[in-house]
Amino acid sequence: MNPFSGYLTELGHGLVTTVELTVVTTIAALLLGVVVATLRICPVPLLRTVGLVYVEVLQNLPLLALLVLFVFALPQLGITFPLFTSAAIVIAAYEGAYFAEAIRAGINTVGVGQAEAARAIGLTFSQSLRYVILPQAFRAVIQPMGNISIALLMNTSLAAAVGVVELTQTANNVNLVEAQPLLIFTGAGLAYMLLALLIGLVTGRLERRLAIVR
Amino acid sequence: MSILTKRLRPRRTVAIAAASVAVAMAAAGCGGGGSGTPGTPGGAGVPGLGGTGVVDQAVYDAAPVAADADIPAGSTMEKIRQRGKLLVGGSLDAPLLSQQDPVSGKVEGFDASLARLLAKYIIGRPEVETVTIGTQTREALLRARSVDTVFQTYTITPERATQIAFAGPYLTSGLAVAVKKENTTIHGVQDLAGRKVVVGTNTPAVTALPTAAPGSEQVAFATDPQAVQALLQGRGEAYVQDFTLLASNAKVNPGMKVVGQPFTTEPYGIGLNRDDAQFKEFVNNWLTKIQADGTWARVWQATLGTVVEGGAPTPPAIGSAQGS
Repeated sequence: MNPFSGYLTELGHGLVTTVELTVVTTIAALLLGVVVATLRICPVPLLRTVGLVYVEVLQNLPLLALLVLFVFALPQLGITFPLFTSAAIVIAAYEGAYFAEAIRAGINTVGVGQAEAARAIGLTFSQSLRYVILPQAFRAVIQPMGNISIALLMNTSLAAAVGVVELTQTANNVNLVEAQPLLIFTGAGLAYMLLALLIGLVTGRLERRLAIVR
Repeated sequence: MSILTKRLRPRRTVAIAAASVAVAMAAAGCGGGGSGTPGTPGGAGVPGLGGTGVVDQAVYDAAPVAADADIPAGSTMEKIRQRGKLLVGGSLDAPLLSQQDPVSGKVEGFDASLARLLAKYIIGRPEVETVTIGTQTREALLRARSVDTVFQTYTITPERATQIAFAGPYLTSGLAVAVKKENTTIHGVQDLAGRKVVVGTNTPAVTALPTAAPGSEQVAFATDPQAVQALLQGRGEAYVQDFTLLASNAKVNPGMKVVGQPFTTEPYGIGLNRDDAQFKEFVNNWLTKIQADGTWARVWQATLGTVVEGGAPTPPAIGSAQGS
């Protein structure tokens, strides 16, 4: 049987799972990134330390080790999440650290005068962050955040190792029957590439519309 | 740093940063150490290896070596002999079949021993370089001649035989069902219909289950220790895997048991490049030889024979599987 036409339904399901995992995780990681970036610049020393520790721990552990740990160690403590949820939580937590660093870099591009002016007109820390700093910070780091989203998409393939049937896992299963690794994995690779190009296209558009020309 | 943090005394920031890095590193160290644990409880170290599971050196010493007449100039066998070692694609994590002893670094098991015996037959010494390969890439590596042979519980199928050649079969096994010790509802594959079943990624179970147990839902894990752990943690009600592998798992793991008889017949072959009929004939001749002189049975007894009762079985007839 032709490795593609015969298995379009399976490969389609795998692709949909990959897209679902990517979308859910990107949103969660982005929100987490904002929170952690805020922690890292907030005036309370303890919270800054919490933010720093979070980023350093998550960035310095391999994602696969985190996934395996979360999926197999937590049930020992009596906490069992479904596999998709587990993978989504771990990837979001991991990529959240990278988003946090990108957003912090964005915050650093905002001129000191902006923050001083915000405080001078009586805005609180969170108000100046929400209305003055973050809107400008985000615009400066649209491309880096796009790159992290693409890395996140590629990293979803690691979920295959802990039983999530996404695109890579489906390709594995089809290959098991058809024994055509070059063809099948090239096909899966092309699908990943198209998704990555799509993310690149969207971030490119966003940047042209939103970036601040200084 | 933005003005928001600059307000604070800078020297303190540096101190805090240094302290938190230390904390982060300590935490990372703990996490890194912990990541080793999930693999270990299921695999429980190196089952079988140690006293049993290792083939005696005497078996290698007594094993046959090919006559020079069997190795014509320009053949694959001659290239291997000149290189001085056989490149074997295999696993390092299959207990009793092909598992690396983490202390000595030696790969032991039925597949690993046969690979060494083939090396001895060609070169005169059991010199093997094991290339760890994933089950996804076996065909591609054989076609590219990156490895000479694949010994990796490689089931002979007609689809695979269009890509590569199979010598053998050299061993017949089958898929069986394992459940948790306290499970009394599942007695064999017939009870798996509609249930959640743990399988290994890229194992024959993935393709065999839909017909053997209609409506069963598969949860696939990359390695055998992970799958055992998943079974024990209740991510599936049963674990379907090769019978010998399950038997060795159950031996070291009191929390699980094998139920029923194997329900498929898997003929395992030695993967070879497809365009090399001469090498395939050579390997088949070698298999016939070691089966006839009892070497095959001795290797089986020392490895798989430690968990499967009833003595060494009759080896499968060469060329008996469709695709070999």
